[in-house]
Amino acid sequence: MGGVDVGGGGGGKRKLDSEINMIPFIDLLMVTISFLLITAVWSHMARINADAQVPGPPREVEPDKVEPEKQLHVEMRTPDKFVLIWKQSGTVISTVDVPRKDNLITKDGKKSIRYPELAQKIEAEWKTVGTHRDGTDKKFDQAILHTDNETAYVYLIGVIDAIYQAHRPYNVGGKSEQVPSFNVTFAVN
Amino acid sequence: MTIHQPGRRLMHAVQLKFVHKKVTGHGGRPLAAGLSLTSMIDFLVVTVVFLLMTFSASGEQPINKNVRLPAAENTLDMIDAPIVAITGSAIIVDGNAAGNTRAIEDSKRLQRVDELFNILKGKREVWKQLHPGKDFPGVVVLQIDQEVTAVVVKSVFQTSAFAGYPNVSFMVNGLPKTNR
Repeated sequence: MGGVDVGGGGGGKRKLDSEINMIPFIDLLMVTISFLLITAVWSHMARINADAQVPGPPREVEPDKVEPEKQLHVEMRTPDKFVLIWKQSGTVISTVDVPRKDNLITKDGKKSIRYPELAQKIEAEWKTVGTHRDGTDKKFDQAILHTDNETAYVYLIGVIDAIYQAHRPYNVGGKSEQVPSFNVTFAVN
Repeated sequence: MTIHQPGRRLMHAVQLKFVHKKVTGHGGRPLAAGLSLTSMIDFLVVTVVFLLMTFSASGEQPINKNVRLPAAENTLDMIDAPIVAITGSAIIVDGNAAGNTRAIEDSKRLQRVDELFNILKGKREVWKQLHPGKDFPGVVVLQIDQEVTAVVVKSVFQTSAFAGYPNVSFMVNGLPKTNR
């Protein structure tokens, strides 16, 4: 038996010593370990968010007209380069070409692709042209992904992942946290 | 009967002398091994603490066996939302077929997937009936195979948006974040 001796117990008083019965204690630990091992989740799934720019339900009061914001269009139509185009209401502000290198990594049949040059270029572009950079700003810059219909999904995820590498501060509940700088959506054409 | 100091009781009643000898080691190397209780309890407690820290109450997201997910680094934690699985041949919601991937690929044009649209719309109506007065979150998780083409991804994305799910999440395998 395991025990804890805290002294006392003299003069006819009740003893302060207590004993732990080790057998049920070890049983409890074993059962807890078994339960936790059985319910353990070893594969960590995650998600990448995208926002479809769908208009909301019609409002009774027409909102004030706001000036169209700058949007970053990421084009991946050719195998050798990405094209980053900043547009504001159809007007092209700037265009940048980024060389495309498909570093496809296959592990156990699962593919992943990274575009570090694209991610760095998008981050640099956002720092110079992006509109919503302040932590108190509740809106985000918009990135629109253009791709042809034959591109495999793994490449789309690689580009979206690169777009989400740019981070900005965002104040929530009095504290600042780092969140992706862009909202991503797909171009229909 | 006189009172005497009790001696060792273990196996005194057992008449099998050869077993007694073997276990206690008189016949050679003892079979009974000592176990340090303190070390064992330390180990068990450390294991319990580790497992409790890595425990996830949200459980495992079911993954279609025909879907191989790509990996990404800049990800968010999973949320509880309807899951649409898209394999190389079918679109599946809750184990039921909701469209044909090949048909969309063959048509080579963006289109609304009617079966998927009806299923998602039905789920939305059920949610609204179960949660009256609450805003519908409009979140759907797409579980897409890595080889599926963009025309299918865009078709499902657009169909989900028109069915009332504008917040689309793509399920991926999370990669550890590299230092920026």
